Amino acid sequence: MRLSRRTRVAGVALLAAGSLVLAACGGGGDDSGSTDSVITNFSTEPQNPLVPTSTNETGGGRAVDLLFAGLVSYQKDGSSVNEVAESIESDDNVTWTVKLKDWKFSDGTPVTAKSFVDAWNYGALSTNKQLNSYFFYPIKGFDAVQAEKPTAKTLEGLKVVDDKTFTIELNQAEADFPARLGYSAFYPLPESAFEDIKAYGEDPIGNGPYKMDGKGAWEHDVQIKLVPNEEYDGVRKPKNGGVTLKFFTNPDTAYTAVQTGDLDVLDAVPPSALSTFQSDSSVQAISEPGSVFGSVTIPERLPGFGTNDEGRLRRQAISKAINRPEITKNIFDDTRTPAVDFSAPVMPGFDKDIPGSDVLTFDADEAKKLWAQADDIAPFKGSFVIAYNGDGAGNKEWVDAIANQLKNNLGIDAKGQAYATFDELRSDVTNRTIKTAFRTGWQPDYPSIFNYLAPLYQTKAGSNDGDYSSKEFDDLMTKIAGEPDEDKRYELQSQAQEVLFKDLPAIPLWYSNVAAAASKNVENVEFNWQNQPELHLITKK
Amino acid sequence: MPDGRPSKTRPGQERYVARLEDTPLHDVGALDTTAPPESQWKEAWKQLRKNPLFLISAALILFLAVVIAFPGLFTSNDPTFCRTGKSLRPAEPGYPLGFDRQGCDVYSRMIYGARASVTVGLLTTLIATALGLVVGAVAGFYGRWIDSLLSRVADIFYAIPLLLASIVLLSALNSWFPDRGFWASVLAIVLALALFGWPQVARIARGAVIETKQQEFVDAARALGATPRRNLLRHVVPNSLAPVIVTATVSLGIFIVAEATLSFLGLGLPTSIVSWGNDISAAQNQVRAGQRLGTMFWPAGALALTVFSFILLGDAVRDALDPKAKKR
Amino acid sequence: MWWYVGKRLLQAIPVILGATFLIYMMVFLRPGDPIVALFGDKPVPEGTYQALREQYHFDQPKIVQWLLFLKGAVTLDFGTSFSGQPVIDLVQRAFPVTIKLALMALVIEAVLGVAAGFYAGMRRGKLFDSTMLVVSLLVIAVPIFVFGFVLQLIVGIKLGALPALVSSQATFRELLLPAIVLGLVSFAYVLRLTRTSVIENLTADHVRTARAKGLPDGQVNRRHVLRNSLIPVVTFLGADLGGLMAGAVVTEGIFNVPGVGNLAFDAIRRGETPTIVSVVTIMVLVYVLTSLAVDLLYAWLDPRIRYA
Repeated sequence: MRLSRRTRVAGVALLAAGSLVLAACGGGGDDSGSTDSVITNFSTEPQNPLVPTSTNETGGGRAVDLLFAGLVSYQKDGSSVNEVAESIESDDNVTWTVKLKDWKFSDGTPVTAKSFVDAWNYGALSTNKQLNSYFFYPIKGFDAVQAEKPTAKTLEGLKVVDDKTFTIELNQAEADFPARLGYSAFYPLPESAFEDIKAYGEDPIGNGPYKMDGKGAWEHDVQIKLVPNEEYDGVRKPKNGGVTLKFFTNPDTAYTAVQTGDLDVLDAVPPSALSTFQSDSSVQAISEPGSVFGSVTIPERLPGFGTNDEGRLRRQAISKAINRPEITKNIFDDTRTPAVDFSAPVMPGFDKDIPGSDVLTFDADEAKKLWAQADDIAPFKGSFVIAYNGDGAGNKEWVDAIANQLKNNLGIDAKGQAYATFDELRSDVTNRTIKTAFRTGWQPDYPSIFNYLAPLYQTKAGSNDGDYSSKEFDDLMTKIAGEPDEDKRYELQSQAQEVLFKDLPAIPLWYSNVAAAASKNVENVEFNWQNQPELHLITKK
Repeated sequence: MPDGRPSKTRPGQERYVARLEDTPLHDVGALDTTAPPESQWKEAWKQLRKNPLFLISAALILFLAVVIAFPGLFTSNDPTFCRTGKSLRPAEPGYPLGFDRQGCDVYSRMIYGARASVTVGLLTTLIATALGLVVGAVAGFYGRWIDSLLSRVADIFYAIPLLLASIVLLSALNSWFPDRGFWASVLAIVLALALFGWPQVARIARGAVIETKQQEFVDAARALGATPRRNLLRHVVPNSLAPVIVTATVSLGIFIVAEATLSFLGLGLPTSIVSWGNDISAAQNQVRAGQRLGTMFWPAGALALTVFSFILLGDAVRDALDPKAKKR
Repeated sequence: MWWYVGKRLLQAIPVILGATFLIYMMVFLRPGDPIVALFGDKPVPEGTYQALREQYHFDQPKIVQWLLFLKGAVTLDFGTSFSGQPVIDLVQRAFPVTIKLALMALVIEAVLGVAAGFYAGMRRGKLFDSTMLVVSLLVIAVPIFVFGFVLQLIVGIKLGALPALVSSQATFRELLLPAIVLGLVSFAYVLRLTRTSVIENLTADHVRTARAKGLPDGQVNRRHVLRNSLIPVVTFLGADLGGLMAGAVVTEGIFNVPGVGNLAFDAIRRGETPTIVSVVTIMVLVYVLTSLAVDLLYAWLDPRIRYA
């Protein structure tokens, strides 16, 4: 019942990376709302100091994204525009030159090339224990700063040219590298931060649309009070008089608070209210497609599911035996959308008709047939088990539903297996000691289908939990990384998914919708590609 | 202390003699001391048979036993046969209580759910009582350093709140035995609850043993040359059982509720096992949304009725075993 | 008597040591890796991972970790949470709220329980008595979270009579509903205990003597029956305070109370050993102190008891 901090995605607690919206650009915007009213938004107590590189869960992420601005900002549709950066350019996709605009931190000190380079070096160095350190892996010299006993203090690939210019050298060509730079790990830090990083994390000074409301603005376990930052002149200009992030340990109570008007925005309606919130007259309901991709990963090493005909047949049988629409309707009350690919519909370049995607269509007879064919190759023993973490809201419900459908449609023994907590599931997954299929979820670090594919299914990739390996797929990934043309990239991405539909390293299930509730007191509640509200746009009625 | 009875003797007051009214056996003198100890039980049984509360609770428990032993008599549906398509549908022929969110039959799950809940309650009570009785009796009877040692050990387990402790232990146990069947799952919960439930019984047993050992008939037995162990087993323990049994009956209900609470927190039996706690927990969302309240009402009602029966039984047994009640 | 208090406090030392040790070992039984969990399902860079393990002493043998905790605890340094805050700060914020909640529940259950129990006992076998008996059994039989939901839904949301949720301020009004829910089960016990006690005392010799002396009924009931019936009730209430604080895990969760129950539950989920052990240590201390207080109170209420 409790909102674990890693409920929404497989624990990834992904931040709302800074995001901007067109309407914020001034002209034609709705300025009728009062700007001196403060918006209250649901949040959870940040698990880490409010330093961008150490914040990797939603509670702290909400605050950090309002407090800081990165080189680029993401648009609502996922495309990125320059924010602090004047330009980010490269001839070879390996060495990138970044030029900065005139920009100030909320204390009036200028944002310089050094502000970025120092912050990134700080974030990457292992002894600083920053949870987002892995984001710097594409940059040259990452291995040296990440050794247990680091052999270098700074990233070799980062070089300050002058106050307003720095260069980034990568390990290999990455055509979409600039798109990553809006992620919170890449935010700058003022020089004063490094004097006492601990104190800084309690009361950070940033360069974003909001700043802390004086000392003690972060009342632990209570709230964080943010007020507009007058120094900010970017694309996310606040339309309200401030944002207060109120902490709840239980989303049910937060929903009740929205009903009574004590809370303005709740970005994830709790399972208990999903079936009713759209007809609840005491709230404004928001339901639209989101970017979280849900799946069940079947490791290649499971008996009967290897990289051969038998394994492929069984995977297809399981995929076809799952009635996705029935589950999204009856279990999720239409707050998820049945998957038709391996990414999400809000991503640029999304294609809903990739050849082979019909394997996601429910067909009990066909499923039974496929399973029987696999049994002819080698009979199936035991039961099909899907592991999940019980602390994630709603996991139990859909896993049980899938297990029931597999039982009924394939005639096999299928069941869910709960791990008490997310970390227990994850450590079995990362240590490869898990002997069952398991739930996986993914929210991208930056808006790109590539980020749904390469980290998850490329051979030996960091989050390739099922140890999938396909030369054809790997080759396509390398091609995409070096392909500067967007449309050609999209095409290659679809080809790569075709390969996945054949092998099904993971069974795509659904995309999570944004299911949010806002109180009757506010208006202009919009959500970005990361399923987060554009808080700077919200106004009081 | 579920029955609210303070233990009469506390650490540091070993020589304190309980006031007469406080000792359940204070009117031992009124009994025929030459009679064998069984007479107390016979007396109690006579008392019980006349008590309508006992008859009601016994009938309920008997019925429950039949449900658990032969669930097939009450339903021919498979409680684990669930169809997502039937999610939250109302009653239809053959399914008198409708369907839950997973599309499982609420009625057959209510019937089959009894087994897990009651098994957890019974086993936990059995283990906690046995352990508590042994420790309490040895501590109370031998006194001195044995008492001090055992009392401290009991204090350690008693001082950690039952719910918190079982949450911690179960988070561990659940993960060590992930793919476990009915008995392994039940035993994990039983272990967690019993491990932190026994000191309760131990305190009561210890108090009762200390009282009993001061009775004349124990002195008499000792004078007649009974060894301490024989004295303990033959005379002291049988005469100290009454308050322990009362505690045990009441605890049974409490342990059943505890299992449901653990399930509510997501740490109870795995969902593949049909249990009231799981079903109540799964029904939370519907209740909040105000749909199909029956999905919570039926398992919760069955659970409440079961606990009710056992507590009622405990009450009746107390009345029968507690000689004070005979004064009426 | 001071000698007795001292002796009891000395006896508490092994209890606290044992309890923290027990909790430590149980937390370690948990197979997950809390450090890996901090990274979500993102890759875990080796260098950062090792540095974090060292920071929380996870690289040390278990027994050493326990000793390190004890060493710190003596100087009130309970370590830091994964969010880098001193655990003592977390506890200092959460504890007053839970104490407030538990005390409110205690008052509610004591006042209502004693009143209803006294009345029921005086009118044994009458309608009120039988009704109360059934009510109390039902209260015990229905899991507390069911009450929590139902009361929150009806009183808090549908009727709007009391706040359905507790904010960070945890005001008296906000805590009222959770306190009622929390005190409900104990209310049933207090009621039953008072009732039994009253019935016993009504037939006790000193009461009969008092009546025989011709004292007015009201005075006898108040001074002799009620006062003497309170002895076991007080004992129960004292022991219950610790129980209420622990039982708050469920209630605090339902009503979003920022207390130790929530703190402990989240810490268990995260495998955040310093927080779990600190909370439990404090719970144990509360238990030790309240049971001592109860014993002293017991002696005060019942002059026949003397501690040496």
